[in-house]
Amino acid sequence: MSVQKCWSELQTMARACRIVVDALDALEAAAALGVTTKEMDRIAREHIEKAGARPAFLGYRGYPATLCISVNEEVVHGIPGPRKLREGDILGLDLGCIVDGFYGDAARTVAVGRASEEAARLMKVTRESLFAGIDACHPGKRVGDIGHAVQTHAESHGYSVVREFVGHGIGTSLHEEPQVPNYGPHGRRERLVPGMCLAIEPMVNAGRAEVEVLADGWTAVTRDRSLSAHFELSVAVTAFGPWILSEPYPYAQEAAHA
Amino acid sequence: MPEAGRETLEVEATVREALPNALFRVELATGTRAAVTAHVAGESSLLRLRPGDAVVVEIAPFDAGRGRIVRRR
Repeated sequence: MSVQKCWSELQTMARACRIVVDALDALEAAAALGVTTKEMDRIAREHIEKAGARPAFLGYRGYPATLCISVNEEVVHGIPGPRKLREGDILGLDLGCIVDGFYGDAARTVAVGRASEEAARLMKVTRESLFAGIDACHPGKRVGDIGHAVQTHAESHGYSVVREFVGHGIGTSLHEEPQVPNYGPHGRRERLVPGMCLAIEPMVNAGRAEVEVLADGWTAVTRDRSLSAHFELSVAVTAFGPWILSEPYPYAQEAAHA
Repeated sequence: MPEAGRETLEVEATVREALPNALFRVELATGTRAAVTAHVAGESSLLRLRPGDAVVVEIAPFDAGRGRIVRRR
């Protein structure tokens, strides 16, 4: 059973998520030819600290940076370093922050310069898979319905879904119950109830689903070195449906008439 | 940041019945599921399991009706 958050806690979560998404906007704008991934990390950290928040990943299980930046065949958990961005690279940008003890977590994949047609299609389908998952976040449905929606969408386009890493509950720690796999049958796993907060994050590979972790102990890459994309948003389940926490509360009208 | 997923759960179980094709009907110690059909993992010593033997079974968090026998206990 996951922890349900009350309205004021959701407000704080929303502030954290807003900061993360604003920082991702800044990072997306900064992703240019020749910029190093280390430089991207510095931008992320400055943005978060200027907003009065703390980086969530820095020091998490020994993770050495603020940002996870995963280039091309890297799936997730890429560590920023001296690598320079090149034309046509696709960058998975994953970022989290802490505001008043509550975590926000989001990710997106962006292209440096012009993406190849194949890369652009992969990113589009992965993003759509995320929203397919979010659309399943209604009270009474189950966590398995989210993964089923994500998997069905991604695989219908000929892509595969990573199994080794999963989305997660989020709140006063980065990873809470329940786990939110991006695959599996519908109708299974925990029942969704209002106040649950979930970080839904499909990782979709252009080739096969298998991944391996490099010697640094963090960077996950596709075993066949095919391209991989990753999109993530933190979502609260409300009585009216999903609330993407980085966006304004969408059900004010419904609530007023309830 | 995605969490490293726990793929399977390990549960203690007791063999109830040997089925054809290296399958066994086992009863989980947790008692939540009366019986799962389990196949044996690799090791040939596990092929000689008999009813009553104590084993450890790995089950997927969602398909709880099936599992694999990982070792004796």
